[in-house]
Order: sequence, then C-alpha cells, then structure tokens
Amino acid sequence: MSESPEGCRRGVPAGREATWGLLAALAVAAPVLVGVAYAAAGAVGFVGPGAGSAGASRVWRVLSEGAVWAGAGWSLWVAAASTFLATTGAVVVAVSFRGWGRGDRWARALTILPLPIPHIAAAVGGVLVLGQSGLLARGAHALGWIASPGDMPALVYDTAGWGLILTLTWKELPFLGLVAFSVLAARGPALEEAARSLGARRLDVLRWVTLPLLLRGMLPGVVAVFAFVAGTYEATALMAPSDPLALPLLTMERYTASALAQRGDAYVLVLLGVGLAALAVVAHEAVRARGPEGHS
Amino acid sequence: MRQPDGANGICARVLLLIAALTTLTACRDDTPPAPGEVASLPWPEIVAAARGSEVTWRMWRGDPAINTYVENWVAPRLEERYDLRLRVVDGRGPEVVNQLVVEREAGARGRADLVWINGETFHNLRQEGLLWGPWAERIPAAAYVDSASAIVMRDFEQDPEGFESPWGRVQFALIYDEARTPDPPGTVAELAQWIDEHPGRFSHDQSFTGVTFLKILMYALSGGVEAFEGGFDDVAYLRGRDRTLEWLEARRDSFWRGGRAYPGGVAELHRLFANGEVDFTMSNNHNEVTTKVRQGLFPETARPLLLREGTIANAHYLGIPFNAPNPQGAMVVADFLLSPEAQLEKAEPGVWGDGTVLDPARLPEPWRRRFQALEQDPRALPADSLQRYALPEVAPEYHERLAEDWRRRIRPVGR
Repeated sequence: MSESPEGCRRGVPAGREATWGLLAALAVAAPVLVGVAYAAAGAVGFVGPGAGSAGASRVWRVLSEGAVWAGAGWSLWVAAASTFLATTGAVVVAVSFRGWGRGDRWARALTILPLPIPHIAAAVGGVLVLGQSGLLARGAHALGWIASPGDMPALVYDTAGWGLILTLTWKELPFLGLVAFSVLAARGPALEEAARSLGARRLDVLRWVTLPLLLRGMLPGVVAVFAFVAGTYEATALMAPSDPLALPLLTMERYTASALAQRGDAYVLVLLGVGLAALAVVAHEAVRARGPEGHS
Repeated sequence: MRQPDGANGICARVLLLIAALTTLTACRDDTPPAPGEVASLPWPEIVAAARGSEVTWRMWRGDPAINTYVENWVAPRLEERYDLRLRVVDGRGPEVVNQLVVEREAGARGRADLVWINGETFHNLRQEGLLWGPWAERIPAAAYVDSASAIVMRDFEQDPEGFESPWGRVQFALIYDEARTPDPPGTVAELAQWIDEHPGRFSHDQSFTGVTFLKILMYALSGGVEAFEGGFDDVAYLRGRDRTLEWLEARRDSFWRGGRAYPGGVAELHRLFANGEVDFTMSNNHNEVTTKVRQGLFPETARPLLLREGTIANAHYLGIPFNAPNPQGAMVVADFLLSPEAQLEKAEPGVWGDGTVLDPARLPEPWRRRFQALEQDPRALPADSLQRYALPEVAPEYHERLAEDWRRRIRPVGR
C-alpha cells in the first residue's frame, strides 16, 4: 500500500486525539457492529426467534432463493433510479438558482421545502396522487384523456416501481439540493473565477469545474441516499409490488412469518442488505481515493 | 479537517456515556413473581398490589376505533377505579414473540405486562415458553366466559390452559357495496364465477386476513372443515392446499392487476375498495363494515357477506409475558376488559363492534338485558346467520403452511 507522508499523517493521527477519536468512532459504530454480529449468530440459528432450528445450511438455502435476489435486484434498481434522478434534479436546481436575487432564493427555499416531511407521509401522498384511483388518474379522466381512472397506467404496486421511484426522488432531492447549494456556495465562485480568468468559456467552466466540483462534494450525500433508499421500509411497504418483493419487505415478512423456524431467514436477509449498503460505501471510498483530491 | 483535542474528547465522552447508559438500562433485571405465588393470593390482595402501578399493554394499533376505545374509555376507568396507569404500545403478534425471545436471551427486564394475541401467536409463545401463568381462570370475570363455545375455549384447536384470557370474538366476512354489486355471490362457486365475469375487481391481502380467506377456500373446496380438524395432518393439508391453489391459479388473470400484485395488508385492500379499485374487501371482524361506514371510510351502502359454505370464526385473547414486570396489574386490566361493562361497550357498533366472549346466560340480570338491548346496526349480520355459518379455526400449522405455499406458488409473477 503506497502512502504519501502527508496522507499517512492525516490518516493516522497520533496520541490522545487518536485514542479518543477511535473510541468515539467505535461508540457510533457499536450498535451496527453488535447488530451485524447478532444477525450473523441469528443467521446460523444460535440466537433469535427459531434459534436451534437451523444451522449454516439456512444461509445457503436463503441465498439460493430466486425471490431473494429478485428482491435485492429490485431494491437496487429503485435505489439507483431514484438516487440518479434526485442527484440530477439537485444539480440542475443548484446550477440554475445559485444567485442571491429574490427569485433564486425563493427557488432554493421551495426546493428544500419537502425536507421535513416524513417518508411515510410522502408515500401516502404518492399513493393518493399516483394510484389508479388517485388525483392524477381522476384528473386525466376528467380531462377526457382516459376513459376511466382505472385506465391510467399503474404507477403504484407496479413491477417497475415508478411510483415509488418518483416519490423517493421527490423526497431525497431536497437533501441533495441542500448539499449541492452548500458545495457551490463554499467552493464554486473562486474556482470558477480562476477558470474564467484563464480563458475558459461558460460551458467549459460548467463542464470542467462546476459539475466535477458538485458531484465530488455531493458524493457522500449520494451514497447516503442510495443506501437509505435501498433499505427504506415505510414507503416501499405502501407502494412496492408484491412480486418481486423488495428486500426490506421480504426481510420483514420473514421476521414476522407465522412459522417461528422461518424467522431466522430474516437475519440472512439483513446481512445481505448491510452487505449491499457497505458495497456502496466501499465504492465511494474507492472513488475518493482515486481522485485528485482523494483526501478532501 | 482536524478538530481541537478538547472538542474530540468531549464528543467521545458523551458518546461513550450514552452507550454505557443504554447498556445499563437494557440489562436491568426485575424478575416477576411466580404465577403460583400470585395464584394463591385472594383477588383483593392482587388488586391491592396492582393499585398505583403502571401496566404496559403491547397491542396492534392499526384501527383508530380500537385505539379510541382503549385510550379514551378503558384507560380513564382503570385510573379512576384502580389508580392504574395504562400505557399502550404498538406491536403485532409476531413482533411480540420476537421481542420476548430477544429479551429472554438478553436476560433483560420485560417491557410489556399484557399482550394482545391470537392463536397463531399463542402457539409460538407457548412453544417457546414465553407466557406467564396460568392465571386466566383466577380473574373474577372469567366466571362469565362462554365456556360452552369451542370457538372461545379452543384457540386454533389449542387449549389455553389458563395462559391467555379471551377478550373478543369475531367472524370473517367479505365486504361489498350493494350499490355497485347488487347481486353478490353467496358461495365459493358463485364467487369464482363472479371473479371470472368481473376481471380486475377482486383481490385479497397478503396478511392474516388474506390467509384466513385462503383457509376458508381450503375448507370449502375440500369437503368442509372436518377434513382438517383434530390436529395437523399432512395428507389432508396437501390435498386441501392443491385444490385451493388450483382454484386461485384458474382465475389468477381475473384478479386485480391480473394477479400480478396483492395488497400487503387488509388496510390497503380497504383503501382499494373505498376508492372503487376493487368491488370486495374482507375483514376478520364481521362488524368492521359498520364501524368503517360510521367513520366515513366505507360508503353507506357497504355490507358484510358470509359465504354459505361458512366462514372462520375465532376469538382473540390477552396474555401476560413471562417477564412482565407487573403481572398483578395485567391481571386487573384483563379482568376489567372481560367485565360485562367493558365487553358491552366494546360490542357497541359505534365503538368497535367486537363480539363478546361472555355467555349472556351467566350474567346478572341487568347486564343480560343490556346485552339483549345492544344496538343492532341495520348493516350488521343477524346473530343466527353468524352462528349457522361459523367455522372453527384448525391447528396453526395449516395457517403457516398455506401462507408459505401461497407465497411460493401464487405470488411470484413469471418465475
């Protein structure tokens, strides 16, 4: 492993500060680490509901189920699509409304307005607007675009998950928008000004300075949104199809199954979910380490 | 960015303190008194021990009518009469089992004194030894229970053995809107024909109510409930399961969304019905239609419907967890909930409409008269019809296996 002297110094701080920092990090991570250890013990039948009724074979049985991978794939698809749409939206809004005029400030305020709305409330709203008996379907019917509200294409409980994707995009965009506004306000003007003073045209500044700056600054937020959406339960429970059954729903279904012996399956699924989220974090670290400002 | 040593240190100490406090709180141990000890006490002493305490009741809180009854009617009376504070927390049956398993592993103090359960959960709790008792026959109101009713006294064919006290009795009913469906089906065969002729207008949910509907189909398509009585029988199950799943597969395309999606819970199915996306919903409580109409959630023309092959009637119960911190308080609450006064209020159509588990013949005369005078909602099913078409629950394994097989064979789309 190659380390620059500076990287080494920053990565491993010495003395008391390092000790306290490590303890603090451990205190934060402890519930997750304990949870993962408990889930691992539950997965092989040492602890938890239905303990003793299965061994390591449970792990392979669960992981060889088509429904599990279909559910995991579906959850990743929804997470990727809504994170991509929310990121794109946040970038567009941040670039378009970055000034200090009244219009720009209003636009930024409106963008972050959905931030305090709970996910469950957003999902209920999504069902009421996007469902086949929802506002959109009734409006389209009233305007004569469709013969009956039921003719509206299914957006809730649909196999592609469009209703859920749109709802989660609407809910996550304000968070990413807030990050984007901060990144641009803190570092944008100086770097853009430097590029322009070196003769870069407006589009070049956007392409080579503003967008890379934004994406790099937003990356931790993007990873957080992706991991959150992949594991989110409430909105998924209200809007996702019954097949494929999203990973969080499948996990809960097994954890509350009538047959006690089946509940241990949920621990395997929890580990799978944690593994997928961890992969996103690892990917983020890899991207950070590769970039010109790998340590920033 | 590097932070000053002081700030880092303070943050770390605060986090460590939180972690330590959490661990200490979780590990406090208060062993409840032994059931035998409590059972030997005269009832007034149990009430005296409960006075001034708090009882935590873990129950499903998905119905506003039930929550209102518990919080606005039951809780104030317990406080007034017994100086008991009732704290209601959310938790469905399976979650109750999981929570207790984890608490037992951790040797942790119990978080609930009373739990609301049904046969499926009772089976799991007994299997794991997670219930405190026996106690149910010790409470005075147990003398009024309809002990001649197999539906009340046998919980999914299990003998409660005093580890749970009956609380309410309900019967499955389909719900339809007579304005939309003036001539509803009356048998399973007619239902099949109706579904075939009205594609996209029928579904069932994936939770307990939906599985109860599947069991009703299984009984009807296999010559009746008798084929499944007397404990779990694998041969009978496989025959019944195959007929049920064949029935479903034969009309999968005519189900809502072409059988490619099913509502997760009965609340979602209710919403689809109320919004006109489907023409039927269903409930484990034959009176739910009444409360939902009064709440304005269902149209005035919504009606309950029994199939002539019969529908499943069952009772729901109250149990005390093995680690309940306050079992005496829980017994007092269970006794009050079983009292004629609380049962009558609960049975009012405008309150909850939950059937009583008491035998009117055993009640003192004034209470008997009040039960007889109970308001009959015009939408309610007549008592004699309910009795004629009531079918008992069978061993819990039928429920478990049918739910699992439906998930594996009917729910998947194109796999």
